[in-house]
Amino acid sequence: MKHRLKLNRGLLGAAVLTLGVAFATSSTAGEFDGVTLKVATWGGSWKKNIETKIVPKFEAMGGQIEFVTGSPQSNLAKLIAARGKAPFDVMEVLDAQQKDFFVTNDFIQKIDTASMPNKQYLEDWQYNDWRIASWHTQESICYNRDKFKELGLPDPITYNDLSHPKLAGRLSIPDITSGGGLANVGAMAHAAGGNEANIGPGLEMIKRLNALKFWSRGGEVVTQLQSGDVYAAVVHSGWCVRARNAGANVMTAHPKIGSKVGVHKHGWLVIMKSSENVKAANWFLNEYNDADFQLEYARNSGVVPVNSKAISMLKSDPVLAEMLQLDPELIANELRVDYSKADISDWNDKWNRSVSGQ
Amino acid sequence: MNTRWDLILLPSFVIIGILIVASQFIFLEGSFYKDLGLGRTGTDLQLTNYIRFFTDSFYLNTLWITVKTSGLATIFTLLLGFPVAYLIARMRSRWSMLLLAGIVVATFVTIVIKVFGLIIIFSADGLINKVLMGIGIVETPYTIIGNQTGVVVGLMHFTLGFGVLLLYSVIQTIPRSYEEAAQIHGASRWRMHYRVLLPLSLPGLTVGALMIFNMSMGAFTSAALLGGGRVFTLPVLIQRTVMMEVKYSMAGTLSAVLLVTVLLINLFSIILIRRLRSARLVIA
Amino acid sequence: MTTPVDKAAARHANEAAIIALRPKGPPPRRGLPWGRFLHLFYCSLSYIFLLSPMIVVIGASLHGGEYYTAIKFPPDEPSFQWYWKIPGDQLRALGLSFLLAGATALGACVLGIPAALGIVRGKIPGKTFISTVFRAPLQIPAIVTGIAFLQMFYLVGDATGFYLQGTFWGLYMGHVFVATPYVVGTVTAILQRFDMRLEEAAFSLGANRWSTFRRVTLPVIKPGVYAGALYAFMVSFGDVPISIFLTAPGYVTYPIELFYGLENDFDPSILASASLVIFFCLIALLAMQKLVGLDTLLRSGSR
Repeated sequence: MKHRLKLNRGLLGAAVLTLGVAFATSSTAGEFDGVTLKVATWGGSWKKNIETKIVPKFEAMGGQIEFVTGSPQSNLAKLIAARGKAPFDVMEVLDAQQKDFFVTNDFIQKIDTASMPNKQYLEDWQYNDWRIASWHTQESICYNRDKFKELGLPDPITYNDLSHPKLAGRLSIPDITSGGGLANVGAMAHAAGGNEANIGPGLEMIKRLNALKFWSRGGEVVTQLQSGDVYAAVVHSGWCVRARNAGANVMTAHPKIGSKVGVHKHGWLVIMKSSENVKAANWFLNEYNDADFQLEYARNSGVVPVNSKAISMLKSDPVLAEMLQLDPELIANELRVDYSKADISDWNDKWNRSVSGQ
Repeated sequence: MNTRWDLILLPSFVIIGILIVASQFIFLEGSFYKDLGLGRTGTDLQLTNYIRFFTDSFYLNTLWITVKTSGLATIFTLLLGFPVAYLIARMRSRWSMLLLAGIVVATFVTIVIKVFGLIIIFSADGLINKVLMGIGIVETPYTIIGNQTGVVVGLMHFTLGFGVLLLYSVIQTIPRSYEEAAQIHGASRWRMHYRVLLPLSLPGLTVGALMIFNMSMGAFTSAALLGGGRVFTLPVLIQRTVMMEVKYSMAGTLSAVLLVTVLLINLFSIILIRRLRSARLVIA
Repeated sequence: MTTPVDKAAARHANEAAIIALRPKGPPPRRGLPWGRFLHLFYCSLSYIFLLSPMIVVIGASLHGGEYYTAIKFPPDEPSFQWYWKIPGDQLRALGLSFLLAGATALGACVLGIPAALGIVRGKIPGKTFISTVFRAPLQIPAIVTGIAFLQMFYLVGDATGFYLQGTFWGLYMGHVFVATPYVVGTVTAILQRFDMRLEEAAFSLGANRWSTFRRVTLPVIKPGVYAGALYAFMVSFGDVPISIFLTAPGYVTYPIELFYGLENDFDPSILASASLVIFFCLIALLAMQKLVGLDTLLRSGSR
């Protein structure tokens, strides 16, 4: 890694120099002078939200934030590739990666929750010594109301309602490698009578649904929802909100699975073991749970806050209130896949075999 | 003149040679360890991964789809590319360079972006489907997203630019006078193409075809983005195995199979073409 | 790469012409106007196939809406707003890609030209083997090259402490590796047609080796060098399968930036930057046509 560090330091030096000049005039010595915090997260609006809300604050304190864009899965691959010396300080991980991150704690260091006042807005299970919640998404069915009316179909309630012949080839289902892939495979397994240890029934159901494609890039789903290529898609509600914003007459349906309604996917923030910017990293974790930022996130990306204050503020937004489940009781009744019972490698293998034959 | 041309070749040869041997050796060796996931591997050399590959119809089918889509992409790229290359090569006006520039520029736009254009073009309410359904060729909207056709189309977008440029330079090496001579002596356009142009460009065509085929065999973007998550080619599986499952030695095995397949097909084609060519000479 | 072309050309030329001479079947319909028309029609289909996605991309980049997550074509209220909103990451990635592709073209020439000279002119045993080695990077699937280089860099790194993955030089090695065969191929093709007596004449007139090379050989092989360099540039600029393994966080090429950037949201500025690439390349090519003449640049054949 020495070589790369040298190169980066060159770039960094230049950046710091220009920054230094910029700040010399205002001369506010910040708490994070010269600190570059590297954050591994998705690109797109995800990154943009952090850039508009958190980055200016951090820069005012003298530091800089760089992004390592990619899905949590590919960022895990980068982490392993770097052999312990993580190329970033803070990382967003999925609940589905719990075995990779939370069982052995090989990759992460303890966080300092005492320095995070925003944890007061979280539930107890949403933070511990190793991690803090960042957001949650509600995996749902996003359907085109006009098309459903046109075809004389009732609004969907369960996944099974999508197996209508009129919808054949007009559905988009998340690929297992996409962010919501594992959550939806798990949920569909439950819906079809299986469970985490037995996803076979879920895969059978997916086969029956006869999807147009298994999406891995949300932008494509929204494009296809809008162009009329797909009439319904299994996506997290945020994508449905974005499709609505893009002009499609779409609505979310939180699928009924047994006594549960809706599917809950949780995001977590962790600090990498090799990080040396511990203080800045903890600061970032706290800012991420700031109500103002979480609200921004929700409005732009349709991601549901974990900050309870932000959740209650969202209720005044007509579109989000309509499309998301914002009542704490409703949220509590969403299905949560228990990944401790899942063998993800096996899931991947079974998935590949199942979909490649279709 | 005693310039030692062979000596000036040496540095390049050593560099390329070392890079080939070092890189291939390491990953070939890695493929013989049992894969334990998350970047960990077993310590004993064994054939586990290979046995798994060759006893599993899923993997064998993946190999077949890879060869099939690459082969189809090669054929269609040549079919679309040759007339264009011929047109440009034989054009006497300045327009030819604009046509060539169009091809080159199209190659500069990555398929990562083009796929959005393709989605729109082939969308259910898009132009192509309106025309197809209007004439009555298809009843339900036709799509290339999420099937092997899409993968072939994606590969063609990736290789067509290179193909045209290569064929262009091949056709350039065939003096125009041969064709003119043939035509003056009464050969029809098609006969001229078939009896003069084709045999003359066959060696270059073979090289070009193999280049396009090899490029397709190693490309994963088209299959990953246009295959709709259900067309598994070896490159797609390799990318998933490394980036999503972090299984290096299994990925090594998949890569080794891909590599050997490509080399064998190259070898086989070259031998076949040599045979064909000598046969043709005998007939002539 | 095109070794057999000329030999075959020479060998077949006469036979072919003779075969064509023999009249067979009905009298030829020469100068058939719609034979040419069909050809042009067919070619325009090829162009439509190749260019239509790009037209959609350029068109959609003019979208005027405030924020959207889907591609819309044709755009509502055209505007150039997204061109001003191209984020720094994309520009940085574009910069890296152009730099890398340029450097790759140069590196491929540095390795490829001597190789071609040696292959054509050297009197060494095992020429077939040598040219096979130089062609090999084209036959190794790109994704295999990517993963093999990645593992090689790990191993070298573990042994020496210098990790090349994610550095410019690591990426550069991978790109030059796959690009060199193109230069070797195009230059070899030209050299085989080159009349060595020209050089001998210059040499006998007292020019030294270097100036003979510079004044006589280089101008002759120039078209091959340009063509090879163009291939090298194209290969490097568009590469995904190698770069995806060898780039590092915060240090990515343009196609990789898009590949990961599009994993989450759709950002219309991506269409804008892609359109910029199209325009930039078109302008660069036309400028080259004006300055050096693209025709001579790519016209590697003798006529």
